[in-house]
Amino acid sequence: MIRHYLRTTAVVLVAAVSVTGCNRGEKANRSGPTLALVVKTLNNAFFIEMEKGAKAAADSLGIQLVVQAPEREIDVEKQMEIVENLIERKVDVLLLVPSGSREIVPAIVKANAAKIPVVIVDTRVDAAALKSANARIATFIGSDNVDGGRIAGEFVAQKLGGKGKVAVLEGIPGHETGDSRLRGFRSAIAKYPGLTIVASQTANWERDQAFNVAQNILQSHPDIQAIFACNDVMALGAVEAIAAAGRTKDIAVVGFDAQDDARTAIRQGRMAATIAQNPHEMGSLAVISASKLLRNETIPAVQPVPIDLVK
Amino acid sequence: MGTLGGLVILCTGLWIATPHFVTASNLVNVVQQSTIIGVIAVGMTFVILTGGIDLSVGSIVALAGITFGTLVQANVPLPLAAAGALIAGTLCGAVNGALVTIGRLPPFIATLGMMSVARGIALMLSDGRPISGFPAGFRSLATGTVAGIPAPVIIMLALYGAAHFVLTRVRLGRYTYAIGGNEEATALSGVNVRAYKTIVYCISGFVSALTSLLLVARLNSAQPIAGISYELDAIAAVVIGGTSLLGGSGSVVGTLIGALIMSVLRNGLNLLGVSSYVQQVAIGTVIVVAVLVDMALRQRASLPTG
Repeated sequence: MIRHYLRTTAVVLVAAVSVTGCNRGEKANRSGPTLALVVKTLNNAFFIEMEKGAKAAADSLGIQLVVQAPEREIDVEKQMEIVENLIERKVDVLLLVPSGSREIVPAIVKANAAKIPVVIVDTRVDAAALKSANARIATFIGSDNVDGGRIAGEFVAQKLGGKGKVAVLEGIPGHETGDSRLRGFRSAIAKYPGLTIVASQTANWERDQAFNVAQNILQSHPDIQAIFACNDVMALGAVEAIAAAGRTKDIAVVGFDAQDDARTAIRQGRMAATIAQNPHEMGSLAVISASKLLRNETIPAVQPVPIDLVK
Repeated sequence: MGTLGGLVILCTGLWIATPHFVTASNLVNVVQQSTIIGVIAVGMTFVILTGGIDLSVGSIVALAGITFGTLVQANVPLPLAAAGALIAGTLCGAVNGALVTIGRLPPFIATLGMMSVARGIALMLSDGRPISGFPAGFRSLATGTVAGIPAPVIIMLALYGAAHFVLTRVRLGRYTYAIGGNEEATALSGVNVRAYKTIVYCISGFVSALTSLLLVARLNSAQPIAGISYELDAIAAVVIGGTSLLGGSGSVVGTLIGALIMSVLRNGLNLLGVSSYVQQVAIGTVIVVAVLVDMALRQRASLPTG
C-alpha cells in the first residue's frame, strides 16, 4: 500500500515539476524590469499579431515580457484572475487588452493600489466607470472601432453607388468591439437614403455560424448586394456561403481585422474589403510606452494607431 | 485522501518554483479566486451524487445576475433584488428538477435545454448589454474582509460547512447518496425520490444564483454572457474531489479541495509566466492525473491487502 502511494505521489510530482519546468528559460535572466501583456485570448490571429509586435519591441529594448490570456475571449472573470496573479508576481508595467470595458475596472484599481502602471491597448476602458472607481490608466493605445465601422460603411455605399440592400453579421451581443463597429457602420449607411440594412443577425464571431446565418439571409433576402461582418472570421464564413450559392460575383463582402485569410480572399476576388487595424503596431507601441514609463518619461494619454481599408 | 495529497504536492512544487506563491496576499488571492467555481460546485456535488448532472449552472449565473441588475436599475432595494436573483436561480433549478423527475428526461438533456433557455432569457432581459455600476455597499460582498479574510471566502466556507452538515447529518443528505447509489431501491423503501431530486436541482440553481451575486460584486457588472462553460469547471472540481460521476459516493470536502486545486494551478501557471497554450495542456493533464490517482487509491483500498 505504502509503496503504491509513493508511486502515485511520484506521478503527480513529475507532472508538477514538468509544468513548472516550462519556466526555466525565463527565470535565468530575470534581472531587469518585467512587463506583462494580457490580451483577450491567444486563439485569435489579431492578438497573436499583437503578441508578436510586443515581443519584437521587448527583445530590441532588452526587456522581459510575459504574455497571458484567458482561454475564451469573453471571459472577463478569468482575465481578472490573471491580472491579480500578475500583480502578485510584481510585474513592473501591466499592458492590458480589456475583455470587458467596465468589468476590468476593479482589476485596474488593484494594479493602482500595487503601484503598477496600466497601459490599455486596443479596447477602451469605460471612462465613467474608471472615474467613479477613482482608477488611473497611464495611456490608451489603439484605434477606434466606430471609425473602422464607418470606413466600412462608406466603402459599401460607394461600391453600391449609394443604393441597395445590405446585410450585417454581428458579433456576440453586448461585446463592446462588435457593438462599436456596428454603430460606426450603421451611422455611415444612415447617411444614404437609398441604402437599407435588410437583415442584421449575430453569428457570435464564428465562421461556421456565419456560414449558416449568411445562407439563411440569402434565402430570405436573395437580392442583397453587400454583407458587412464585424470580423473577418465571420466574413469568410459568409464568403463560403455566397460561393456555395454561386453568387460571388454579385455580393460584396466586407470584413474587419485584415487577417491573412481575408487578404487572400480579397486578392482572389472572393471578398471585397476588410478593415485593417494594426495589432502588431499596437503591441510594439505598448511595450515602447511601458519602457518610457519605467524611465519616468511622460507619454500622451491617448496614442492612436491608424486604421486602413484593404481592398 | 489522494486529492488532499495532490493539493499539498502542487503547493509544495509552486513554493519551490516561485517566491511569489507563498505570500499572505497571494494565498488569500488564490482562495478568493476559487470561490466562483467553488460555490457552484457545492450544488453540482449534490446533483452528481444523485447520479445526475447540471449543465445549466453557467447560464443560471448569467440569468440570476441580469435579474439582479435589472431589479437594481429599477430602484428595487438591494436585499429584495438579491432575493429576486436567488428566486430566479432556484426556479430554474426547480424546472430542471421537474423535467428530470416528472418529465423523465435524462438530466443531461433537461439541463442542456435550460442552459440555452436561461442564457437566451438573460440576453433578452438585458438586450445583450452588460448592466454596470452597483452601490459600494453591495460591492463589499466581493471587496469586504473580515479579519483579513475576503467576504466571498467566508461565504464559500460557510456554504461548504452547511453542505457537509446536510450531506452527513440530515435526511436530505442521506437520501441524496441513496438515490445515486440505487434509485429504485430508494424509491421502493418509501422515499419520495422525485421530491428529493427536485430539491437537489433547486440547490444547484440557488448556489448558481449566489455565485452570480459574488460575480456581479467582483466585476461591478452583470453580464448576459457571464458564466460560459462554468459547468465544466464545476464538474471538474467535483470529479477531481473524488465524487463519482455515477453518483452515490463522494463529498463536498473533496469538491472544495478540487476547486482549490484548479485555482492553485491557474494561479501558479500565471505566476510562472507559462504560455497560455501550455496552461491548457497542464490543466487538462492535472484533471486526468488527479482522477487516475484517486481511482487507483480507492481501488487499492477496497481490495483485500496482499
